[in-house]
Amino acid sequence: MFATFRAEMVKQWRRPRTYVALGITVVVPIIVGIALKANPPSLREGRNDGLFFLATKSGLILPVAALRVMSRFLLVIVVAMFAGDAIASEASWGNLRALLVRPIGRGRLLGAKLASAALLALIATVLISITGLVVGGIAFGWHPIDLSIPGGFGFQQSNGEIIRNLALATVYVFWGLSPVIALGFMVSTMTDAPAGAIFAAFGLYVVSSIVDAITAVGSIRYALPTHYFDSWSDLFTTHGASSDMVRGALLPIGYVLLFCGIAWWWFRRKDILS
Amino acid sequence: MVTKVLEVAGLTKRFGEVVAVDDLAFGVEPGQVCGMLGPNGAGKTTTLRMLVGLVHPSSGEARLFGERVRAGAADLARVGTMIEHAAFVPYLSGLTNLRLYWEAGGGRFEDAALDDALAIADLGDAVHRKVKTYSQGMRQRLGLARMLLGQPEVLVLDEPTNGLDPGEMRDVRDLLRRLSERGNTVLLSSHLLSEVEQVCSHAVVMDRGRLVTTGTVADLTASVGHLYLEVDDVSRARTVLAAVPGVRGVTNEAPGLLVELGTTERREIVAALVHGGVGVETVTSRRRLEDAFLGLLDEED
Repeated sequence: MFATFRAEMVKQWRRPRTYVALGITVVVPIIVGIALKANPPSLREGRNDGLFFLATKSGLILPVAALRVMSRFLLVIVVAMFAGDAIASEASWGNLRALLVRPIGRGRLLGAKLASAALLALIATVLISITGLVVGGIAFGWHPIDLSIPGGFGFQQSNGEIIRNLALATVYVFWGLSPVIALGFMVSTMTDAPAGAIFAAFGLYVVSSIVDAITAVGSIRYALPTHYFDSWSDLFTTHGASSDMVRGALLPIGYVLLFCGIAWWWFRRKDILS
Repeated sequence: MVTKVLEVAGLTKRFGEVVAVDDLAFGVEPGQVCGMLGPNGAGKTTTLRMLVGLVHPSSGEARLFGERVRAGAADLARVGTMIEHAAFVPYLSGLTNLRLYWEAGGGRFEDAALDDALAIADLGDAVHRKVKTYSQGMRQRLGLARMLLGQPEVLVLDEPTNGLDPGEMRDVRDLLRRLSERGNTVLLSSHLLSEVEQVCSHAVVMDRGRLVTTGTVADLTASVGHLYLEVDDVSRARTVLAAVPGVRGVTNEAPGLLVELGTTERREIVAALVHGGVGVETVTSRRRLEDAFLGLLDEED
């Protein structure tokens, strides 16, 4: 299993698409940092700029702001691409059959592909935080900051607490996107068109977000994969993880098991015709 | 009784309403080079895919080394496979493709028969170039090299000379002969009947998913119904043969003639030609595989 995974990771690392996707997760926090340095926002411009305002007071908050901005759109596309491309791209090249005529079980190949897609998604998420932290430090310094100031989170945290919470938030965002990864991966086993699988994964996020915004839907919203997606911001406003965060950490388990289970079931029975 | 290296029995594959392979049964013994013949849609590729675990049979079974084929089976390490055109990861070099292919199975690349494989691929420095810059022929040669990395005992090939120029096709045929002499068992499908005739000891003929016949190529091409002649005067020979009762037809088949026999014995044909002043240089009942193949399909219709 590890040999297959390692070969898969080498394949992904040498792929130009991977550089582009990971490059985006590095470039955007840099752009945010430069923009804030060049044109610092003030609180009077509205509450929505609170995070950006705080980021100019301490570089420790810049990765939090970058994570918030990226996790709602670009990061979703990036992880959808890693997952949706995993099997379908091999099928589209015709290389899948070459892999499967070896004594490599389909479950083993599937596991290696899923693990590499998930690892790349995690790396992309971590890169946002690390880049934000570095850029924030360079641009604004890692000063202690009182988050209870007007426009802030209303709660005071030490630098160590902020960094620890940033690490937790990063993992939470990654895990919150795991249903997107799992669905993209599932569809990737079913098609030879990577774009279709990527679109399906991104579509899940978009549809879930839209439905979640409709309060008339009722309690169903609480089971939507995106419902607790932004709950990680509670880390910076309360002591420890909130109950919403706990629910948000548990919710993806069902989706991941369901989508990965279907992928496994499907792929083991699939006729490789591409 | 010789154990068959490859064997299918009652093999059937349906895709919805379409029956791609229908109750197919044949076997390949060790050291045989067996060609699969059939028109497009005969089910050759589907059969090969079922033999290496890519496609699941609807019923019946395929066996490798006596064991029922299943995806990822350990015995697949003893089989080199190239199904349809050789495909690779396009943004990686030929060499990296070979390395990752090998290492994905858990083997050390140092243990692969790389030198032999690269000699077959004959790509020179191009092996370090990205595969997306390769011609179809280069990819096909790299595919053959990849297939041989593990020094397999059995080769399963689908149109192995597809995309190759005549010189490369000859090289592949020579390679298959060498492998056969080394004791490898080969099952290949091909549209090129001359290729099968030159390389294969045995043949399996399929049509519309069903087995038409199987046997040695020599048996298939042997015929009491046809006579191939080489004479010193083709025009005169045609005139003479036209008057011989029981001759159903005469067609030019350079440099000789192919005579379709009815009730006439071959000695009567030769006697008539000699009596008519025609010098007979060659007489053989052997016909080309193409004729045998087309004849078999006509009988099926």
